[in-house]
Amino acid sequence: MLLSVIKRLTTTLCTLMFMSSAYAVTVQDSKGTFTLDHTPQRIVVLEFSFADALASVGVAPIGIADDKDKSRVLPAVQQVIGDWQSVGTRSQPSLEVIASLKPDLIIADISRHESVYDDLQKIAPTLILPSRRETYSDNLKAASIIAKVVGKEQEMTDRLVQHQQFMAHIAQQLPDHAILQFGVARADALFLHTDDSYTGGVIQALGMQTPVSDRDDSAYRQTSLEQLVALNPEYLIVGHYANPSIVDNWSNEPLWTVLTAVQNDHVYRVDPNIWSRCRGILAAEHIANDLLQIFSEQ
Amino acid sequence: MTAQRFFPFALIMLFALSLANLLFGAVSLSLHDIWQGLFVGSEQHFTVYEYRLPRLFLAILVGAGLALSGALVQGVIRNPLASPDVLGVSHGAGLAAVFYMTYFNGASTEWLPEVALSGGLCAALILWYLCGAHSSAIKLAITGVALAAFWASCIDFLMLTKPLEINNALLWLTGSLWGRSWPQLQALLPWFVLVPFALGLSKYLNVLDLGDDSANSLGVSPQSVRLLSLAIAVALTAACVSVCGPIGFLGLVAPHLTRKLVGGRHQSLLPATMLTGACLLLAADLAARTLAPPIELPAGILTAIIGAPYFLWLLLRMK
Amino acid sequence: MSHLFRSVSLGLFLCLGLLLISWWNLFAWSVVPVSGADVLHAFTSFNDQSIAHRIVLDLRLPRLLTALLVGACLASAGTIMQGLTRNPLAAPSVLGVNAGAALGMALVSTLPFLYGALSTSIAAMLGGGVAWLLVMLLGSAWRVGANEHGRLVLAGVAISALCAALTKAVVIMEEDQAAGVMTWLAGSLADARWQKWQTFWPVASISLIGALGLAPSLNVLQLGEDNARNLGINLLRSKLFGSLLVLMLVGAAISAVGSIGFVGLIVPHIARLMFGQDFRLCLPVAMIIGALLVTLADTLSRAVTYPMETPAGAILALIGAPFFIYLVRKRTL
Repeated sequence: MLLSVIKRLTTTLCTLMFMSSAYAVTVQDSKGTFTLDHTPQRIVVLEFSFADALASVGVAPIGIADDKDKSRVLPAVQQVIGDWQSVGTRSQPSLEVIASLKPDLIIADISRHESVYDDLQKIAPTLILPSRRETYSDNLKAASIIAKVVGKEQEMTDRLVQHQQFMAHIAQQLPDHAILQFGVARADALFLHTDDSYTGGVIQALGMQTPVSDRDDSAYRQTSLEQLVALNPEYLIVGHYANPSIVDNWSNEPLWTVLTAVQNDHVYRVDPNIWSRCRGILAAEHIANDLLQIFSEQ
Repeated sequence: MTAQRFFPFALIMLFALSLANLLFGAVSLSLHDIWQGLFVGSEQHFTVYEYRLPRLFLAILVGAGLALSGALVQGVIRNPLASPDVLGVSHGAGLAAVFYMTYFNGASTEWLPEVALSGGLCAALILWYLCGAHSSAIKLAITGVALAAFWASCIDFLMLTKPLEINNALLWLTGSLWGRSWPQLQALLPWFVLVPFALGLSKYLNVLDLGDDSANSLGVSPQSVRLLSLAIAVALTAACVSVCGPIGFLGLVAPHLTRKLVGGRHQSLLPATMLTGACLLLAADLAARTLAPPIELPAGILTAIIGAPYFLWLLLRMK
Repeated sequence: MSHLFRSVSLGLFLCLGLLLISWWNLFAWSVVPVSGADVLHAFTSFNDQSIAHRIVLDLRLPRLLTALLVGACLASAGTIMQGLTRNPLAAPSVLGVNAGAALGMALVSTLPFLYGALSTSIAAMLGGGVAWLLVMLLGSAWRVGANEHGRLVLAGVAISALCAALTKAVVIMEEDQAAGVMTWLAGSLADARWQKWQTFWPVASISLIGALGLAPSLNVLQLGEDNARNLGINLLRSKLFGSLLVLMLVGAAISAVGSIGFVGLIVPHIARLMFGQDFRLCLPVAMIIGALLVTLADTLSRAVTYPMETPAGAILALIGAPFFIYLVRKRTL
């Protein structure tokens, strides 16, 4: 009896001390207010962009939903965070594995993981933010929120300033208002990333534009050669997921030579994983570097 | 195998599979862990009580429900190739779900089961309207098939005009137990009030096998037996599909397998087929979680991969 | 006399319609502006510098020709199937050929160890052939009677479901590929080019000519098996030949543009409605109507979500499925 009272008292005291000495942080996430009363040490992230945000401020997650393919995580992120455990696919991460890692913070994507939000909450406090289909500015906002939650608000503010300076610095060396189109090519389809997409946003941040078309309601659109001819960008940058991809097939066709980008030899290949799947500060800087390389080679 | 020997055997299988479902997964647990996990505060509480246990119960219920509706539909249409799919219920539910996912993608996924459920029930009502009360069973089946083809073409059209949602939609359409938990179980359970009614119909379904005339002379109205059985099948299928998505082949394969084991008498066939269905889905979900951890495969793929070859073999032997 | 006049004028009307729709297809709903006059100029006075001319000749013309031939192939395949089985609901898509071909194709294009071992068109033909064989065996296709019609369709549906489930399983494992494979599964003409056309047209035209040659035996078959036998027709041989033709027709069409459904179901009915039961007349007319329908669907495929494209097969399915419902309701099964 006495023992239990003492026990309870100690716990209360401990909690009180912890609360006052450490911190409680409150942010707005996609489900409303999110509060955390400790600095998270064991973080599980369910999208690549969240891993990027953590790596930008030097925090390493212990688990990533990496589709069981470690090479999908940006090399720059891998360097910072070292090794991690895979928790399955991004679309259906394994909740058992997440629970077995005993995380004290889970960062989930509102678009993919809303249906398991309640379950994730039972494992650990869950911060739910947009990731899939986010824009560049959404991504930076999410990064700030994540940094605040992991107690690295100041570091992130500095990092963002540095990031903006970096982007501005690169932008100066790139042609102004060049019309540049990025697309991801698969074996039988080409998807263009428009203004509203993440990569489109990065391209704009670098002082360039994506071509405007008359109906622009989707961030990623499947495109035929004819539509590509209609858009006719000055620069065409393609990430090939398949070999040979549909764009490789098109390049053998007479109509391909009608494109301005082809005539001026402005068609480039990039890593589709980095350009479209890994979103984040480090990924954007990687894109900027790729572009710098492309334009300085000319 | 006779019915007397089937039931103990199936129950032991069910128990063994349930235990395996609790023990194995991306993380293997010991019996002690499982016992501990049932109580709040223990280390494995989430994995055991919040994750594997509700999923286990759901697999049993959904497997049993789909198998029972399959047996009912086959009993009424009296064609072994019939299944709840020929009523277009799962396609209707799928259409409603895909429509919701593509056009209300900001909206919460919480409402998805309700939307799918009403889609499935509407599809059944439309079939009913098209066929009327007095059409033959085979005509009902063929009309259902045509209607299902129509729903399927609408689903394809939606997915192709909004290709962004295609992955989410496909995932739902394959049927999966991932992320389903106590709330879904709670939503599904009330529908199983229908099970005793279905079992009560078994005597009359046997009479139907003798032909409509004999049924009439025995004082059984074949029309009302058919209507009741189909209504129960529709409701159970719609409820199961709304929770887990259309899990393929269970409603087709489970009754077949059971009929081979216990014979065609509905009094034993109906309860036995529920056990078979539950075992099949438990096995499929176990495989889905343990084949390539930590990747979770949709259980619907597994039932298709297990069910399709068996079904094919069965069909070829039927010849 | 008046019957002949009616047939001839209907036929002329159809050909004129086909010509007009073909012309319309060449320029309608282009993202790059192409006018009706551009189309004519591209043929009469081709200008290498004009983008419109190059689009017409390099993109639109192969697309149109493929659409025409695909339509003819699928419609005649459906007509032959309905003739062989004497079942008004028979059609490649109903009897599992499309689903089987899709499965073959999906397996070859996503499974690494099959990749390159078989060409996709051969895989499509093999898959379609196996599926159809199974359906025929299961549905006891050669027996005739009211109930048997239903049996055959149910067998087709069961095999289609089986193939579709496996296809879906394969597709979903390759999450990134899903949109591409789905587009292919729905059947799109957007990627029809001269290169594909060169391998497609010889097979397709030989099979079409073969189909015309089969018409007289199909006519005899309609009299019933016993009568046909008495008239000295080798039943087994015509059936085997017919089945092989169907496979070649559907296989060629599917490997060219993907799995387009319902043409084979609808068109034979329209042809019969217009020209009666004689297969010697029905078959060529079905080819023309099929060509017309697929070309129309292809034109609409650019219009529905302009400036993007919707696969033509998805549009045909939206038209075809209600027709299927109508057919089922009309028939006393």
